[in-house]
Amino acid sequence: MTDSLGQFEQIVLTAILALDDNAYGVTIHAKVEDLSRPKKAARGAVYATLDRMEDKGLISSWLSEPTKERGGRSRRHYRIEKSGAKALRESARTAQRLIETIAQNLGGLAWKPPG
Amino acid sequence: MEAARLSEPPDWLERIVLVAIPPAAREGVAGDLWETYCSPRQYAAEALRTVPFVIASQVRRNLNLPAILLQAALIFIFLGGTATLLLLPALLLRGAYQEVARPCPQRAIREAILMSSGVMALLLLIMAIWFPLAGRPGLDHFTWLNLFLLGLLLSPLLCLFRAGLILQGDRCTPACPDELKKEELTRGYRDFQHALLVRNLLEASALTAAAIAGVFFAWNVLLVGLFLLAALYLFVDAVPRAFPAEEDFVSLRARYQQDLTRQKQLRRFLCWLWFSPVLMALHTRLMAEHVLQAERPITAMLDCVAAVILCFLAAALTSEYGGRIQENIGLLDRVREKISPA
Repeated sequence: MTDSLGQFEQIVLTAILALDDNAYGVTIHAKVEDLSRPKKAARGAVYATLDRMEDKGLISSWLSEPTKERGGRSRRHYRIEKSGAKALRESARTAQRLIETIAQNLGGLAWKPPG
Repeated sequence: MEAARLSEPPDWLERIVLVAIPPAAREGVAGDLWETYCSPRQYAAEALRTVPFVIASQVRRNLNLPAILLQAALIFIFLGGTATLLLLPALLLRGAYQEVARPCPQRAIREAILMSSGVMALLLLIMAIWFPLAGRPGLDHFTWLNLFLLGLLLSPLLCLFRAGLILQGDRCTPACPDELKKEELTRGYRDFQHALLVRNLLEASALTAAAIAGVFFAWNVLLVGLFLLAALYLFVDAVPRAFPAEEDFVSLRARYQQDLTRQKQLRRFLCWLWFSPVLMALHTRLMAEHVLQAERPITAMLDCVAAVILCFLAAALTSEYGGRIQENIGLLDRVREKISPA
């Protein structure tokens, strides 16, 4: 039984998934803002969510080599763990059911998934 | 050159931001802020928006509820409710801002000297207040001289204790290479688990023995219960956890780091728990002497000094051990997987 994810956790996990090897603070924040349009997301909230998900074992992190464009500092890279992928899949299934139910009941007003 | 300078935050501003970011998150967060730098105003605004979240997250991550509750209980017993309310946020922030390495030797020795100087100042202050009453029992000049000499001796003794801890830490800190094979990491993790098993069993037995002794020495029932609970937890914790062989390097490292963090929290609590009976005994004596203080002010004062020194020793032990664990976590953070040639 995996913990159910909050909406922001789902967005952050999806961002990490989409970014693959390039998932670190700046890129994750940019992707989260993109995914949660038109809402803005505070970068600090992204860090707090990343920490929380790391403590839950949903993601793992490590430091890269220091780089000059970051003032000689390293990037903290993130990666989804198996439990994270499982939780995200469950969330996607729930979202899918929601979309289908909304489409059935609201008809043309609801967004219909392609295909 | 000038263009390069324009794309960097001013030194003074960066230094302020660096101080504000908790050390555990400093590398990643400060680097991200630098990478997205546009102007000093944007940098400062972004830091102001980001850092409070980072601090709150680090407070949550380092929140060691059993240890905090134990420390708060000790503060409450010694100093009362107001001091507890004032010191509790300080304890939480101290946890969030703990260094990611062992305290540097200079700082540790400086703390020891400050501590002993504080005790000396306290002795002098009390001496000045009590001197007019030197006619009272146990308050002659010879006693004060003895106390003063004791205070003088305290500084080298505390420094020696701190130096011993630093040397022991230096001996225990493993050299971690830049690259590790998965098998080497697995071996290191297994060795850590084995050492933990032995330590847990030994400490659990010692805690049980102490709890039994506590019953005979009429310790506080709550304290005996805490000792027994801690022993039980350690016995349960001693059961080695299996880790899946198919786990890759990154997952294994994350699991190892989580175990290290858990141990750091657990040992901090246990360290304070070991010191609690003595602190409680000192408090009981102090309370008894409070009634009799007209007769025995020197003993009461020495008890206060002893309690302060014990707290210093407990804090020194936890910061050395915690720092060593943090150092290991940091080393693991930077280690890369060494792929064997096919």
